[in-house]
Amino acid sequence: MKNNIIILGGGQAGIYAAREIRQNDSESNIKILGEENLLPYERPPLSKDFLLDKKNEEDLYFHSSEVLKNENIEFENILINKVDFENKKLFAKNDDVYSYDSLLISTGSENKKLSLDDNLKNDVYYLRNLEEAKKIKEIVSNKNKITIIGGGFIGLEIASSLCQLQKKVTVIEIGNQLMGRIIPKQIADLVQNAHIEHGNEIILNKQIEKITKKNGIYEILLNDNSLIETNFIIAGIGSTPSVKLFENTNLKLDNGIVTNQFCETSIKDVYAAGDVSNFYHPLYERNMRLESYQHAQNHGICAGKNIAGVKTEYSSIPWMWSDQFNLNLQLTGICDDYDEIIERGNDINNGLIYFFLKKNKIRGACGVGIIGKVGRDIRITSKLTEKDTIVDKQILSDQNLKLNKLIQK
Amino acid sequence: MSEENWIEVGSIDSIEEEDLIRFDHQDKTFCVYKLTDGFYATDGICTHEAVHLEDGLVMDDEIECPMHQGIFNIKSGEALSPPACEDLKTYPVKVDNDKIFIKID
Repeated sequence: MKNNIIILGGGQAGIYAAREIRQNDSESNIKILGEENLLPYERPPLSKDFLLDKKNEEDLYFHSSEVLKNENIEFENILINKVDFENKKLFAKNDDVYSYDSLLISTGSENKKLSLDDNLKNDVYYLRNLEEAKKIKEIVSNKNKITIIGGGFIGLEIASSLCQLQKKVTVIEIGNQLMGRIIPKQIADLVQNAHIEHGNEIILNKQIEKITKKNGIYEILLNDNSLIETNFIIAGIGSTPSVKLFENTNLKLDNGIVTNQFCETSIKDVYAAGDVSNFYHPLYERNMRLESYQHAQNHGICAGKNIAGVKTEYSSIPWMWSDQFNLNLQLTGICDDYDEIIERGNDINNGLIYFFLKKNKIRGACGVGIIGKVGRDIRITSKLTEKDTIVDKQILSDQNLKLNKLIQK
Repeated sequence: MSEENWIEVGSIDSIEEEDLIRFDHQDKTFCVYKLTDGFYATDGICTHEAVHLEDGLVMDDEIECPMHQGIFNIKSGEALSPPACEDLKTYPVKVDNDKIFIKID
């Protein structure tokens, strides 16, 4: 049957969903509506290789317009400002109306903003999209002292990149460790050491009282009365799902759009995937919202299958990475629900991993090491988690014993 | 096919089954794999970012990059899963007298 399928949101989840739908359905119209006038592109390099000039804009696109054309997937740059779920219509700012039979919402997430005086609103920069990355890249080229507010993944990756561009970088974090939302303190402390060794200043446990601007120089007053002078401020203080469009509708929202394990929302024929979705994970038996590359891709693919009528449960084990200096940090599963922690390795050069177990099964793991050193073990850990395997703790804790011995074939 | 292009990698016992070793020759680096049906060779560096695949995971006919989980088919070099999108170069392999050789062009 030929349907009108609309994908609202032109990011990674959206493009992967579109291509997956086409794999299973050669007839339906597939249209992606994107807010940015750009084909879907990879975001991870924006804070790293793009700032460092190792990758340019052309390297970031997932697929060329040729691929989309060949697969008969339309992409339109348009801002939707009203949704009528009852009559299955989307309304654009320019009064255009889009009717759908099935809708996928993949609007992603947006940066939380600092509450600042009006005269400083345009002085603090954020990094989520290509335009912002370009702006930051251009401005930092003639600034020396840079302050980053927020010690999460994005702030630290920018700090690492700017340090490599010979900038004097200060990171201010409100919590008592870096990356505190999801990374165990032991690992965060090792990453912190790496930043300090490279010359970055890390300030923990401090709140910002006031920012003032004098002659193009910013003064940041902290709650211990210390003052930081800086030429440029970037903030990375978390994100929220992009759901404003749906706030006065029947769509069930709770930290994003609530979906089941089939990417279905509370409204029939409306699906959600990627950062915007608070989805039910059958293995962890709870809802969760993830902001990661792997999730955007796999959740998009899963939504695509379900929209095309191939009923598919989403049970992918969460996985994410961060690259800072010569370190690669990886996280798999969920590390906040455990009754035992097991350590593997004790040296960042060979990589070290903390496993989080519950009832002798791995629920999650977090590792860090020189690039390449933890990936294989983290990947095997994902497989062990997925298969709900009862693990031999001796093998887990001994870096000389290969983890793939634990995989039951 | 001239004989001198075949470079000795090592003995067939130097690789466990469903595993790989790194092999450096002149200024190039390779991965040599032992799969259930024989030996294979590819370039050593992931086509996505400059990380060596020696620390990657071999599963069936696939090698997965340890940095960002890009996946390649070991036999064809085909990039199977993003973020890898560029194929990995493969090289012919032969076994002679229990020794592995790869043909480098």
